Amino acid sequence: MITWFRRVWHLINRSRRERELVREMSEHRESMHDPSKFGNTHRLLEQSRDAWGWNWLDDAMQDLTVGVRTLIKSPSFAITATLILTFGIGINVTLFQMMRVGLLRPPALKNVDSLVRFLRFAPDSSTSAVPYPLAQFVKENNTALAAVLVETSATMAWGRDAGEEVNASFVSANWFDELGYGPLQGRMLSESLDARADAPSVVLSYTFWHNRLGASTNLIGTTVYIDRKPVTIAGVAQATFPGLDFNVPDIFVPIAQREYFYPESTMLRAWGENTVDMYGRLRDGVSPAAAREALRSTMQAIAAQRPDVKTDEWLEPLLARDNFMRPSERIAVLAVVSLMGSLTGLVLIVAAANLGNLVMSRATGRVRELGVRMALGARRSRIVRQLVIEMVPLAALGAAGSLAFASATSLLIAALGGFPPYLDLRIEWQTVAVAVALGIVSLVVVGLVPAWKVAQQHLIDAIKDGGQNVSRTLDRSRLRRVMVASQVAGSCLLLIVAGMMIRSMQRAVDSSTTFDYARAAVLSIPLDRYGIRDDAARSYWSQVKERVRGNPEVEEAAIVTAAPLGGRRFQTSYDDTPGIDTFSQAVDPEYFAAMRIPLIAGRLFGPGDAKTVIVSRRLALEMYGTLDVLGRGFPKSSSEAEATIIGVAADAHSIKVGATNVVELYVPLKLRDFSEVFLIARARNDVDRLLPILREAATIDPRVIPTARAMRDDFDREMQGPRLTSAIAGGIGVLTLALACLGIFGVVSYGVALRTKEIGIRVALGAQQPALLRAIVRQVLTPVGIGAAIGLVLAIPAGLVLQDEPFYLESGDPIAFASALAIFVSAGAVAALWPAYLVLRRNPVDALRHS
Amino acid sequence: MPKSNGLPPGTLILLILRVLRPGPLHGYAIAQRIRALSSDQLSVEEGSLYPALQKGLANGWMKAEWTTSDTGRQVRSYRITAKGLKQLETEQVDYQRMADAIAAILESP
Repeated sequence: MITWFRRVWHLINRSRRERELVREMSEHRESMHDPSKFGNTHRLLEQSRDAWGWNWLDDAMQDLTVGVRTLIKSPSFAITATLILTFGIGINVTLFQMMRVGLLRPPALKNVDSLVRFLRFAPDSSTSAVPYPLAQFVKENNTALAAVLVETSATMAWGRDAGEEVNASFVSANWFDELGYGPLQGRMLSESLDARADAPSVVLSYTFWHNRLGASTNLIGTTVYIDRKPVTIAGVAQATFPGLDFNVPDIFVPIAQREYFYPESTMLRAWGENTVDMYGRLRDGVSPAAAREALRSTMQAIAAQRPDVKTDEWLEPLLARDNFMRPSERIAVLAVVSLMGSLTGLVLIVAAANLGNLVMSRATGRVRELGVRMALGARRSRIVRQLVIEMVPLAALGAAGSLAFASATSLLIAALGGFPPYLDLRIEWQTVAVAVALGIVSLVVVGLVPAWKVAQQHLIDAIKDGGQNVSRTLDRSRLRRVMVASQVAGSCLLLIVAGMMIRSMQRAVDSSTTFDYARAAVLSIPLDRYGIRDDAARSYWSQVKERVRGNPEVEEAAIVTAAPLGGRRFQTSYDDTPGIDTFSQAVDPEYFAAMRIPLIAGRLFGPGDAKTVIVSRRLALEMYGTLDVLGRGFPKSSSEAEATIIGVAADAHSIKVGATNVVELYVPLKLRDFSEVFLIARARNDVDRLLPILREAATIDPRVIPTARAMRDDFDREMQGPRLTSAIAGGIGVLTLALACLGIFGVVSYGVALRTKEIGIRVALGAQQPALLRAIVRQVLTPVGIGAAIGLVLAIPAGLVLQDEPFYLESGDPIAFASALAIFVSAGAVAALWPAYLVLRRNPVDALRHS
Repeated sequence: MPKSNGLPPGTLILLILRVLRPGPLHGYAIAQRIRALSSDQLSVEEGSLYPALQKGLANGWMKAEWTTSDTGRQVRSYRITAKGLKQLETEQVDYQRMADAIAAILESP
């Protein structure tokens, strides 16, 4: 170790040390009677340098200088190569960076290790929310938690005229303290100031303050109106303040003040409804598992007092460190991420193989130079080292470029995808490490493998024939074909996957035409907040519906518990239909006309209907294997049928657009549904004229603040993600296709260049053009064919893995396969025939005259 | 070069370490001392001393520092280290063994 250190120290001080040595030697020489007996100072200095063992570094630096010089002399190659590597490495680095930021990195919270979220678990069910009084009871009666936090979101109206909508988050007053964020301006919520119900203060989110309130600095302490109630703005949160479920609300309201806004709301007292998300701060030394066990007794104490809670229920902790993902969710996410990683890895393989081929073509141009070096005594390893080191600057540029690429693309994706601002997309050392590692891997493919192949040839012989023989051997080498084949396989596979992605988006768009959203609008009023329930709610909604239907602009109006595209889901998995999720909606008879969903058989719900259901076509087929299901019990195999099927409706994936494994079930509205239903209406002409009509109709009760929106906006929002991923996949597919074509083009045109003479002779002897073309292209036909076959075969398992959430890939779609292949074959044919066409047009007989 | 002067390869460093054992010396003095002790039998090509000295420095067998010589000139004097003494001992034993072996072969009938 000390010897090593001494050598490094010498290296650092080398120029000074060598000056001293020269001085020492010259003084010695001068003191001698016969200085000629001293020896050659220059050679002795070289030998002294050997003693320190840095020769390899000197050689490497020399090779590097040569490499940089060569690159500067051929800038077009240098730029192409850097771009290819930047793209190949960059895509992988981008994926890593996005996954880290979005899924794998724990949120930036104070003491993130001791923060957990609690789900309410029973032996055979679970919900993500808990009743507010339950959270309060746990807070006051437990030994495991230092703090309990709750949050529930709500859409509220902003402004004196209640004209704007805001996403509000009702939070416990310790929210900001426990998560560890102070104010950007003013103050955050606090236990002492905001726990009471009579001090209405709110905190604004950075984005809301910045984008909607113009970042005004004199808002603190002013009064604004939320749901027509005056409140004081206490402060503005920092931009970095994270949302625990990716969404950052516009405003934060202390949950204790809920009844200030909604005096009739029962949320703070209702034990029967799961209303709030519950988080906890573990006490020092308490593990999440220990907390679960400690809270069992608290839950039992609740069960003893409250019939809504059963004795076998428990609170299941999810760690903030795991982004509050369940272990199964985490595994699913990692599976999808690793599959995407292998797809982007393919891009790198295509890029590196492409560049490797290019490097081999270039190296064959230097066969004579290398031959001379070997003739002068350089060993093969020295040649390999030289060729590899020449590629180092390229790999380094590629890795650096990939970081810039990743940084730019993640910002672009974040902007297009509407990512919340707290997600910190800056590059961290882990990302840099990935880029460097991938740079080294590419160096092996584009540097080491071709160099090794070149150095194996009879380079010295190449001096005699100008390197023709060696060039030809390299041109026909198996390595070259493997590289072409892997490019073709990779790009073919990526094209097919991109095709599947585009097709599945198309299907999503198509499936939305099974219900007619374009001229429909949704009116939502959370009546529950205003204490309007049961009979009052039913009579309110029937009055609103009559007023809406009476308007000449309106074609039809209906009431439903889960509005199409609205995000609310009632989801069941029946034993009779494994792997299929059934989305149920309680609807009134007008729903089918309003959404233009045809009834295939049977009748609609009538007055007094109870215990009746209408099933969708696919549900009938999946559960009963036939459409002839009228009068049968539902669900099929339950011993005591819960309901009778009275109708079959056409399929309409209105709840989860684009999903493949879902079916719909319609049930009649029950009295208790009416406090949380939506009214949907379809316009005769213009949906925009519908919105004020809906809002106006809602005002028959002056307390309520209605929101109305066009369904096509919901649709656009729903499609934002799929559109973005399809665009990205398509872009990657096209770029990789371009790379592969470039590779084929390069190989063919190089082969043509080597064989110009031969082609000339053939033309002179009267060979026909088609025969010549065949001869020229034959060289790449086999590797392209093999590569395409491999790509096709691999696309099947790749599609199968991605056919579920979140992509719902059309894995078996013949059109995706066929169109990807067609695109590939035509682009590949152009790439292969183009150089052949060029050489034939130039009249290759001329080549004979010149040489 | 050592070889051309009949010095077996690798022996030069052994000689240098040996002459440094009594005390520090500068380059010119080392050359003189080797010549004197060997009664001019081993006349080293003097410059080849320096690569050997660098090897000794790189391995930590000796240390060098600038001092003023008796004649008032700035010279670099080399001092043997503990590690160098150990190396000298090993090399001496090795050399002796080698010499004995060669001698045994040469003296064989």
